[in-house]
Amino acid sequence: MDRNQLTKWLKSPSNMGHKYSLDVVYFCTGCGIIEIPPSITARWDAERFGVKPVATPRQANLFLITGYVSVKTLKAIIRTYEQMQEPKFAVGFGSCPINGGMYWDSYNTVNHLDKYIPIDGWIAGCMPRPEAIFVAVTHLWTLIDKEIADGYKRYRDKYKYYRANQEKVLGELEWPPLFPEDDKK
Amino acid sequence: MIVLEMFMLVILAFIIGMFFLGLSRKIMARIQWRFGPPITQPVIDIIKLFNQDSISHGLLFNFGIILSLAGSIVMVFFLPMGGMCPMSSSGGMLVILYIMLLGPLGLALSGGEAANPNISIGISRKFILALGYEVPLLLIFLAVMTHYGTISIVEIVKMQSANLWSFASLPLLLSGIAYLLILPALLGERPFELIKAPQEIASGPMTEYGGKFLALVTLQHAFHTFVGISLFVNLFLGGASNPGYFFLKMLVVFILLIFVNAVFPRFRIDQAIKYLWKWPTLLAFIGLIIVVIVD
Repeated sequence: MDRNQLTKWLKSPSNMGHKYSLDVVYFCTGCGIIEIPPSITARWDAERFGVKPVATPRQANLFLITGYVSVKTLKAIIRTYEQMQEPKFAVGFGSCPINGGMYWDSYNTVNHLDKYIPIDGWIAGCMPRPEAIFVAVTHLWTLIDKEIADGYKRYRDKYKYYRANQEKVLGELEWPPLFPEDDKK
Repeated sequence: MIVLEMFMLVILAFIIGMFFLGLSRKIMARIQWRFGPPITQPVIDIIKLFNQDSISHGLLFNFGIILSLAGSIVMVFFLPMGGMCPMSSSGGMLVILYIMLLGPLGLALSGGEAANPNISIGISRKFILALGYEVPLLLIFLAVMTHYGTISIVEIVKMQSANLWSFASLPLLLSGIAYLLILPALLGERPFELIKAPQEIASGPMTEYGGKFLALVTLQHAFHTFVGISLFVNLFLGGASNPGYFFLKMLVVFILLIFVNAVFPRFRIDQAIKYLWKWPTLLAFIGLIIVVIVD
């Protein structure tokens, strides 16, 4: 942890700021949310890494999707992700967002979440222990350091692809596109 | 010279306010048997928030938050800190009584533009709470003004250094206790955290703020914390001759506030008003009567 190295702070304050102040919006989709209370309270204390839960997506810059993603929840996930301010990072928690997990053949779950919103990292397991969250956070730090945690840039560049995938599952979307095509040119 | 002093005062207020925010998170963590964030965490948050994108909902959304921050910064000029008192030569208390409402007002103007139901609930709670603590605050101010026969805070500090602190002298003791009782409501700490209340109304007035707006709100909170405690130290703990001693007095009051903040649950808004209009108002009123009889 290089939180106390002043030279690094002076060199790139924005990168260091994004690293050590992760405001998380925990998306309670399934059983994964049960691992969050121990990780933010006295036993594991996520706040010592600067990871803090916030109430609204506007204030957050880390999006943790905990548990399986049903088609109905996917709509809420997309809206929450689009309301967050850039730079934003998304992490899938548990095996269900990765490939469906034990619900892989269910009629109303989405198997690959990264087709619909860009994901910066995965935490595998069913369920992952709270320690795994901290491993993921430290891993995210290295990604931010190397500037390859660029999911929000991918979302902007390949928005057409993501929007098409979203519409394939959800049908006609009720909200206008986040990045309209005319703005680009 | 005055301009230099004003700059110094704002920078000092910023540093002390941010230090208090960090200290409160650390002490809260230790009380809850956690290790807690580093004491510089609010500064890191501010740096991150200023580097983040932010979305605006209109002109008033931008200016309301600036008005709120400016109101809090202006109040710092009227409070003598140690030997420094750039603009508080006369009539400090009346000005503070007026400007104190600019903070909630700016947030209300700004939040109204965003048209989010959580914001409306938070703002209405904030104004109702302001209605609750303004009544005892006015009575306390009246008692202090009547006792010292002046509205200048500098004069009050001078008289206290000549005699006793007003918190230690009998006529103003009850007013001092009443101020301590409304201090959490003034600063929006628990048990009066119902303005933000992240668990019920998604952080209330701050719901739509992200990025730079949230940074400005955090700065406003830091300045407001400084002002609320500095006012108590000046009026009741005798001010101080140098900033270091002044800071020490503020630290004692703030740590007391954090201990209360750590152990109390949240009031509902009706309970908060019932409490504020009962005990602090009663104490402040009796204090005022005692002051009138004694003098």
